[in-house]
Amino acid sequence: MTRFRLESSRLLEVELRNERVMTRAGAMVAYDGQIKFEKSILGGEGLFGALKRRVGGEGFDLMTTSGTGRVYIAQNAAEILLVPLQNEKIFIESSSLLAFDDGMRSNTVFAGLRGASSGQGLFTTTVEGTGNVAAISDGTAIVLEVTPSEPLFVDPDAFIGFKGNIRQEFIFDVNWKTMIGQSSGESYQLKFTGQGIVYIQPSERR
Amino acid sequence: MILNAQTLPANGNINPYAFCIDVTGEMLIRKGKMIAYYGALRFEALGAGPFEVLVNEVLNSPLHARNFVVVTGRGKLILGDRGHNLASYDLEDGSLVVRSENVLGFQPTLACRESIIPGYLTLLGTGSFVASSNGPVHFLEPPVKVDEDALLGWADMPSPSYRYDYNYVRGALRTVGALVKGWGTGEEKQLDFSGNGTVLIQASERGVQR
Amino acid sequence: MPQYSLINSKMLSIKLHGEEVYAKRGSMIAYTGQVDFAPSSSGSEGLGGRAMRSVTGEQMSLMSARGTGEVLYAFYGLHVTLIQLSEETFFAESESLLAYDGRLRSGTQFMGSGGMQGMLRGAATGSGLFTTTLEGAGELAIVSDGDSFALDVTHERPIFVDPQAYIGHRGQLQSNIVTDVGWKSFVGQSSGESYQLKFTGLGTVYIQAAERGGNR
Repeated sequence: MTRFRLESSRLLEVELRNERVMTRAGAMVAYDGQIKFEKSILGGEGLFGALKRRVGGEGFDLMTTSGTGRVYIAQNAAEILLVPLQNEKIFIESSSLLAFDDGMRSNTVFAGLRGASSGQGLFTTTVEGTGNVAAISDGTAIVLEVTPSEPLFVDPDAFIGFKGNIRQEFIFDVNWKTMIGQSSGESYQLKFTGQGIVYIQPSERR
Repeated sequence: MILNAQTLPANGNINPYAFCIDVTGEMLIRKGKMIAYYGALRFEALGAGPFEVLVNEVLNSPLHARNFVVVTGRGKLILGDRGHNLASYDLEDGSLVVRSENVLGFQPTLACRESIIPGYLTLLGTGSFVASSNGPVHFLEPPVKVDEDALLGWADMPSPSYRYDYNYVRGALRTVGALVKGWGTGEEKQLDFSGNGTVLIQASERGVQR
Repeated sequence: MPQYSLINSKMLSIKLHGEEVYAKRGSMIAYTGQVDFAPSSSGSEGLGGRAMRSVTGEQMSLMSARGTGEVLYAFYGLHVTLIQLSEETFFAESESLLAYDGRLRSGTQFMGSGGMQGMLRGAATGSGLFTTTLEGAGELAIVSDGDSFALDVTHERPIFVDPQAYIGHRGQLQSNIVTDVGWKSFVGQSSGESYQLKFTGLGTVYIQAAERGGNR
């Protein structure tokens, strides 16, 4: 397994020993050693994959980074959230995904219709298996527990991802962000019930 | 660290960029700055139904009333603003003029008025409020001159005036013309504060373009 | 000697007792005392540097502050890092330099290949980097998108850096432009450089956790 290390809250160092890591294209800021970069595709190959990417327009191209050396990854000076997975599955906003270990299965699902004003966020990526996942967060990420007795409500623009036995619902509550003249922002909330963990960023912007 | 409804701070910072309010009564919160919450909370527009009285007393400004909602119920509410630094401040029978977009929430014991200075609002009375800033807020004592882009607000003191730096402009016009513009770089004009009180500044009103 | 101190990660304070400092135009946010400001096109640069800049059209938009008092600087909420120099040369990516004073001699260096032709082409197309060199003993402040990070370069381990994340370097380093098809060519960025900066030798390279000009 590669070693993911936070050099600072905004810079991820991945040490590769003849190994591979999947990273968001364009997120490389520096490296040393013998490293090769190849194009990779998030969401799988095939017609459906192509359709997903076309409809989504989110531009989350991936790179397969391989070799021996240290690779430094960052994105827009965002803070980085590290989530180690132990035979688990994480659902993550596709645009928040930064890097993950090779050897984990990833897939991108169309998350369904959301608010009409939403300009993004139609896609959720799942990463499954054992290894490291790194996500970006605008401001230090907050990790919140969801339990059967305490559901959690989240602004969709602040949502990064979740893992565990969680159900995600869309709540179309007129009162959440109503109002005339609201130029941005969805008019719905996300409601999480069950048992698990939700990751959010202290920002309503990607 | 994994937090939940019990371990989230009650009216405190979770990290420099997120603040958690323990909602027990009414709170005025800026729309769009609510990140997440536990509990049973209701969000109502101002000027509708039971909150009409608030508009007359607490937030007497159609301009600003549109940007705030009244939160009621019981729960833990997390605020965030573009990854900017958040902090809570207490006013004690005070008066603070502060940049509007930076005020994220305040207790209705404070009165919020439209300031005659465009882009700013005035908070009066006793109570707490949560404000955001690009980088931590820095406090200065007059006399001091401040660039408008960095000004966040001022407390318990008279309004500033503009001060034009004629030397600067004269220097600009004397230097090789092609390299330098005269007016318009923003540095030839500052806000001049004098008197007693406190000036609040932030690194910049604008952040890096993304 | 001007006194530099960080008020917080995004704000710099310089206390002056009659001295002069040069700072990025537009970065002054507040001041107390008796300080005069004037635009400066070249700081403490020599004639050669100024000539090079006018040939390529590269501007160094500075503002000088002189007097007695305290001046506060910030720039678009970028992170500020203070660097101490002891009789050495620091190369700062020109846009990343926030402030310095007359203790240091400034100059220009073009990091690219192809000599004069390459420099002109570089200035026009953006492939290549202009750095401001600061030499001597003193201190300077740089700005970065997110905190800056220092990577050590050793003879055994050269480092490859994305030019848009490059902030500066110091030490006994050689820099080369390296083109690597695998780097970014497939992303289809119109602005993106398809080259990297390779540093060899012994020294330190400073990078930021973001790319200038955007990769949004």
